[in-house]
Amino acid sequence: MFLTELFRTATFRITLMALAAMAGVMVMQFGLVYAQLEAVESRRSTELLKGEAELLAQMSPEHLEYVIRRRATDDLRLIINSAGLFDSGHALIAGDLRTWPKGLKADGKPHNVEIYPEEGDSYPLRVLAEKLPDGTILVLGRSFHLLSEQKLMLRHTMLVAAIPTFVFALFLGIVLSHRALSRVKEMHEAIDRIMAGDIHERLPAAKERDDLERLAGSVNRMLDRLERLMDDMREVGNDIAHDLRTPLSRMRARLERALSAGAADPAALEAAVGRAVDDLDQCLGIITALLRIAEIENSRRKAGFGQVLLADLVADVFDLYEPIAEMEDKVLVAKEGEAPCFVWGDRHLLIELLANLVDNAIKFTPEGGRITLGSQRINGAASLFVTDTGVGIAPAEREAVLSRFYRSDKSRHVPGSGLGLSLVCAIAHLHEAHVTIETGAEGIGTCFRITFPSAFLQKVEDCT
Amino acid sequence: MSKEDTDFFSPNGKTVLLVEDDGTIAEEIAAELTARGFKVLHEATGNAGLEAALRLEADIMVVDRLLPGLDGLSVIETMRQQGIRMPVLVLSALSAVDDRVTGLKAGGDDYLTKPFAIEELVARIEALLRRPDDTRSTKLHLGPIDMDLIERRVWRDGREIELLPREFRLLEYLMRRPGQVLTRSMLLEDVWQYRFIPRTNLVDVHIGKLRRKIDGPGEEPLIESIRGTGFRLRVPD
Repeated sequence: MFLTELFRTATFRITLMALAAMAGVMVMQFGLVYAQLEAVESRRSTELLKGEAELLAQMSPEHLEYVIRRRATDDLRLIINSAGLFDSGHALIAGDLRTWPKGLKADGKPHNVEIYPEEGDSYPLRVLAEKLPDGTILVLGRSFHLLSEQKLMLRHTMLVAAIPTFVFALFLGIVLSHRALSRVKEMHEAIDRIMAGDIHERLPAAKERDDLERLAGSVNRMLDRLERLMDDMREVGNDIAHDLRTPLSRMRARLERALSAGAADPAALEAAVGRAVDDLDQCLGIITALLRIAEIENSRRKAGFGQVLLADLVADVFDLYEPIAEMEDKVLVAKEGEAPCFVWGDRHLLIELLANLVDNAIKFTPEGGRITLGSQRINGAASLFVTDTGVGIAPAEREAVLSRFYRSDKSRHVPGSGLGLSLVCAIAHLHEAHVTIETGAEGIGTCFRITFPSAFLQKVEDCT
Repeated sequence: MSKEDTDFFSPNGKTVLLVEDDGTIAEEIAAELTARGFKVLHEATGNAGLEAALRLEADIMVVDRLLPGLDGLSVIETMRQQGIRMPVLVLSALSAVDDRVTGLKAGGDDYLTKPFAIEELVARIEALLRRPDDTRSTKLHLGPIDMDLIERRVWRDGREIELLPREFRLLEYLMRRPGQVLTRSMLLEDVWQYRFIPRTNLVDVHIGKLRRKIDGPGEEPLIESIRGTGFRLRVPD
């Protein structure tokens, strides 16, 4: 079980591949040495045979015959293993080659021929036959004995060298893959702990020296991000609970008091019930807004999309909000952009977006303040903006403002679900538009800007 | 809510077919409608609702979108295929962007998302039962008010009133529905074609401005506020 697991590791497989490569290289090297050995021996025997034949050919026939006879007890035997002097009819005159080797030509060149002795097995021999001036033929032969001994030695060497190498490599592979396996096992255990709910657990990444540790490092960073998101979500959940609890507990207190007053004061009871309904409406408003944000965020459908002229949106929302701004002693101004800005979008959602921004701006602008809304084309990209002369948003707070339920400390007293800007972000996101917060004109107040992607603009222009 | 606010519309025993599977909600709606003089037929499943609709006993149908068995939209579609023109109000717990559109496409006449105030439901039922007077006439007349739709001019007792286009649109909508309670969301949806606007008191502000223009000093106020519900254009005696 453990071994199969070991063999299935990547490290072990790599070891095996390295081992195979090593074996291949070894075989190739030995092959080369082998071939080289053969070539050297062949050259050497040719030289020896030729040299000796030349030397012997210069002797007188009587002396030659004597030398050939004597050769059997001579040192020469070590070099020239067999010799024979034949007459022109291939009959032996003297020497230990009993018969004329089959197929041998007397051309003074070495040939490899098979010798069939009268007793014993046949054996190969490198033979040279030289015609002498008196008509006799001198035959000299050199056996392959030396070569085969050398080859045998080489083979032995190879085996002796290869076996310990392979054993060592295999051992190394097992050790390394065991190490890798135990590291992976640690990671598995860490992941199991994370899955079991311990979200603070991290994979062992040490100093991210190798690929595995770098991967673990990436996973850890991903886990950090997920943990942050989960914290955010928990915070949002807490905020929702808190924002719902406030009106609910207010309502409960009111109803309880009205109940204890009882039928004694029907008017008070009616008033309490009426206010309780208002509180409930506030709770339902929060829930509806949440569901709506979730719905827009999850929506990939762009069925309601069409060509929208931003100036029309501005005019509509201005029309809707102007009286309320006037009533609250604030000035609402709609600004015409110099170039008409078309975007590809859902008119109703974009109205909702702009209405939320204007609503917010009116809420956070003190009496006598001024709210400007309009459309603009900046660097070819269409944008909507809403500027107010309110308290403004500190640069550090700007990102947080766009998250759910965010309420600046300055604005805790202002009623509302606190979800308006989240809704704005969700709608902008659906339109692939960016929401940015800038400082308002002349350094006062806030400017919310929705910048639409120029691709959408292009799409509209293609359609028209 | 005081009693005199509610008896503005006499249902004359009109019958509402309520198809709703949630027992509690159905009970509440039925109780309220009965108290206001409607007759209520309640069915809890789509199939029973469809059968009741085909018996032609009701004047209006209020149907929940999600029902056991045959769902609300299929009920409406089947009914419309049978040629029944009875007005239909769709109730839904869903609020998806195009949910309303599919509800209306299936043959519904109005769409109301849960949760809703019961007054909202009653006002919409009433509006559906009394289809607005959409005659081709270019002049509207109601009590002291005269309205010229071509020239976009308005007079009260012969005195011309200057109205902004948005105020004119609002008054025209009210003039076409005299004596009918109109809720804030109905006005937002029908006059401005908006849904999901962050504050509903926007409508109050617009009505307030219109009121100040059409009611001169000492003149009888024409637009009434119905507490907790909306507004109504008074029908002169």
